[in-house]
Amino acid sequence: MIIVEHKKIGDMGYVSHKDTLKVLQRALKRGKINVEYSKGFVPHMLTYTTTPLPLGVQSDAEYFGVECTGVSASEFLERFNRSVPAGLVGSWAVELLKNPNLAFIVVASEYRIKASGNLQAVTGILDKSSYVIDTVKKGEPIQKEIRDMIFDIRVEGEEIVCVLATGNINLRVDSFVDSLVTNFGIKANRNGIIRTKQLVKDGEKLVSVGEFLR
Amino acid sequence: MEDILSDILLRVEKPARYVGGEYNLPNMDKPCSHRTCLCFCDKYEVGMSNIGVRILYHMLNDMEGFVCERSFAPDLDMAKELQEHNLPLFSLETKRPLLDFDMVAFSVGFELHFTNIIYMFDLAHIPYYAADRDDSYPVIIAGGPCAVNPMPFADFFDAIMIGEGEINFKQFNELHDKCMKEGISKQEFLKRATTIEGVYIPSLNNPTKRAVVQDLDKSYFPTDILVPNCDIVHDRSTIELFRGCANGCRFCQACFYYRPIRERKVGTLVNYAKALMDNTGYDELSLSSLSTSDYSGLKDLVDQLKVEADERKIKLALPSLRLDSFEAEIYQEMGGSSLTFAPEAGTQRLRNVINKNVSEQDVYNSIKGAMEYGVKNVKLYFMIGLPTETMEDLQGIVDIVNLVKDLHRQYGKSKMLNIIVSTAVFIPKPLTPFQWERQISMQEMKEKQEFLIEKLRMKNVKYSWHGAESSVVESLLARGDRKLSSVIVDAYHNGCVFDSWSEHFNFEGWMKAVQDNNINLEEYTGEQAEDKVFAWDIVDNGVTKKYLLSERYKSRQGITTPNCMGKCNGCGASKLGRCFE
Ligand code: SF4
Ligand code: SF4
Repeated sequence: MIIVEHKKIGDMGYVSHKDTLKVLQRALKRGKINVEYSKGFVPHMLTYTTTPLPLGVQSDAEYFGVECTGVSASEFLERFNRSVPAGLVGSWAVELLKNPNLAFIVVASEYRIKASGNLQAVTGILDKSSYVIDTVKKGEPIQKEIRDMIFDIRVEGEEIVCVLATGNINLRVDSFVDSLVTNFGIKANRNGIIRTKQLVKDGEKLVSVGEFLR
Repeated sequence: MEDILSDILLRVEKPARYVGGEYNLPNMDKPCSHRTCLCFCDKYEVGMSNIGVRILYHMLNDMEGFVCERSFAPDLDMAKELQEHNLPLFSLETKRPLLDFDMVAFSVGFELHFTNIIYMFDLAHIPYYAADRDDSYPVIIAGGPCAVNPMPFADFFDAIMIGEGEINFKQFNELHDKCMKEGISKQEFLKRATTIEGVYIPSLNNPTKRAVVQDLDKSYFPTDILVPNCDIVHDRSTIELFRGCANGCRFCQACFYYRPIRERKVGTLVNYAKALMDNTGYDELSLSSLSTSDYSGLKDLVDQLKVEADERKIKLALPSLRLDSFEAEIYQEMGGSSLTFAPEAGTQRLRNVINKNVSEQDVYNSIKGAMEYGVKNVKLYFMIGLPTETMEDLQGIVDIVNLVKDLHRQYGKSKMLNIIVSTAVFIPKPLTPFQWERQISMQEMKEKQEFLIEKLRMKNVKYSWHGAESSVVESLLARGDRKLSSVIVDAYHNGCVFDSWSEHFNFEGWMKAVQDNNINLEEYTGEQAEDKVFAWDIVDNGVTKKYLLSERYKSRQGITTPNCMGKCNGCGASKLGRCFE
């Protein structure tokens, strides 16, 4: 299988996860990648993605796994980049013998959030044992304890850089940013957020998918 | 604008519809002297499915010195945001306000799009009436299928493109570019544009002839088409086999409007199909035309395409097949389990009246074949309110449903059977043999629908009917004249917009506008005198009034007219271009 790291930036930030998958699959067809199909009644392409981004959030680090044959990783990357819309361009690709199941092993993401106001105050969350946000579950407003899902927050220039739980235990970055706006009076919004890394556990350490796979 | 817009996009539904950025986007930064914005009077997902819009968009972008962008009717949530932030409607590609283009061209699909013209004008800050726009405004024009009778919306536009845009729209853009370079006024440009066939200038009321592509096989057809990033209605690539239809069903406007009948060659189509499959990545290719099964090279084409499609794991879809060509339909459905029939009328007598050349035997054989094939879902389409219709004809619809059930019992390979019966109300349309007919009253529509609701209350049968009220509005506008422009504006102000979406349709708004403008509805929806000069008679559409009238007479006698593929019936269309090269 081949895994490609690609961006989801610019106008592609407004394309839903489901639609993005379709866009990527069409790109494989255009690129004449020989993709394997499932054997079931309605065969579908054997492709894999990671946790969806909220609409409007951009990313430098999305992963797309493809079960395919007859193409090297570098050739794949070249054909992939010829076949995707501008906002989905690939950065690198690797060939793996086995599906690493990224959707399962990715546990966190790093985001950079363009913001203004008293940003340092936000890092104070790390000193607290509890941080509760208002969110919505099945259409009902609820309160949710999320402190355990926040792994890091720091400020770099006019950006908040944070590491939040992703995957099975998932903290939506847009809900988190909304809470910062409400609780700390900072200015920020969804299209000023970019996912810069997806992280997996390597022993006790969190490392980026790139480091892990390559 | 970009900043406010990106905030707005976070709040509206399906924002991907407003940002462009699709694969195969033409170069918007190339050197150009003329920029056109092509507008479609419905949502992105509908407009992007329109093959005409697709052709014209890519055609202009492929012309040196010309750029074409797109704008669609934004959904209501987006419109509200634009208005609240005082942002004018913009193009998808460069986010330019419509007013910053050299030309703005609206494609008007059908009558229930008319209020959306005004909706889009409003959002783009365009004064509604052409007479109120001086030279500082772009040239604003319309075209599309509705140009068959442009009179109800003519006053809103500087020019109307009548016929096939590959010809007149292209020439009109070229002339405008030239006139702009020479510093010629809008008025003078429009006067010169009357020399282009198929250009109607409402302010000059010039007679014109519908523009027609002479050699369809050589005419422009794009294969590097845009591939949307979100779902659209027809999310697949499409090749257009031929234009016009030889069958001559007497209610069918498309049939007569798109004549003369011109085909593309099998080889040309196979090449287009291969290029489309490779350039789009779509997993479905559809063969389109008014009556695909009539295409002379269908078997050869499908055989060749199957090889190419299988190789690429692409599905072939053949829409709009007729009941009398079941074989082809089976072809399409290989592996499928549903069947769509459009007998249009329940009895042989009425089918003869409307010239739907489908016999009892065809109906029987088709259904029997379907059952033996294991079809589980049968969809049946009929019209109600057709000229001369009686209750017996409605009973005929019920009889066909019973026949399906019987044949399923006798021959059904599948245990399950679901039947969906849909009826639409007959709307007399210009340029058809029924252009003089009356539309039945709302009361009659209700009675007929109730009869069918009652009779079709059967197990595994679902009956759905198209709104009576919107049919009345469609009928009013279809045969409308220039007096109706103020009705359209008032209807819009009464809240009528997206009229073709049943959830938005607002009958009261329309009726109030009709009343406020002292319009006698009956004058438009009732029977028309045979010697009446119609609003649309100013355009020579090829098919003659004499021929249409003779077809009307034949309908009254229940005499059918054969398909003209074998022998020309002399409808008049061939004077615009040769049929069946
Ligand atoms: S077959 Fe009849 S209804 Fe269909 S396009 Fe031709 S004339 Fe119209
Ligand atoms: S001119 Fe003759 S062949 Fe051509 S569409 Fe009319 S009837 Fe048919």
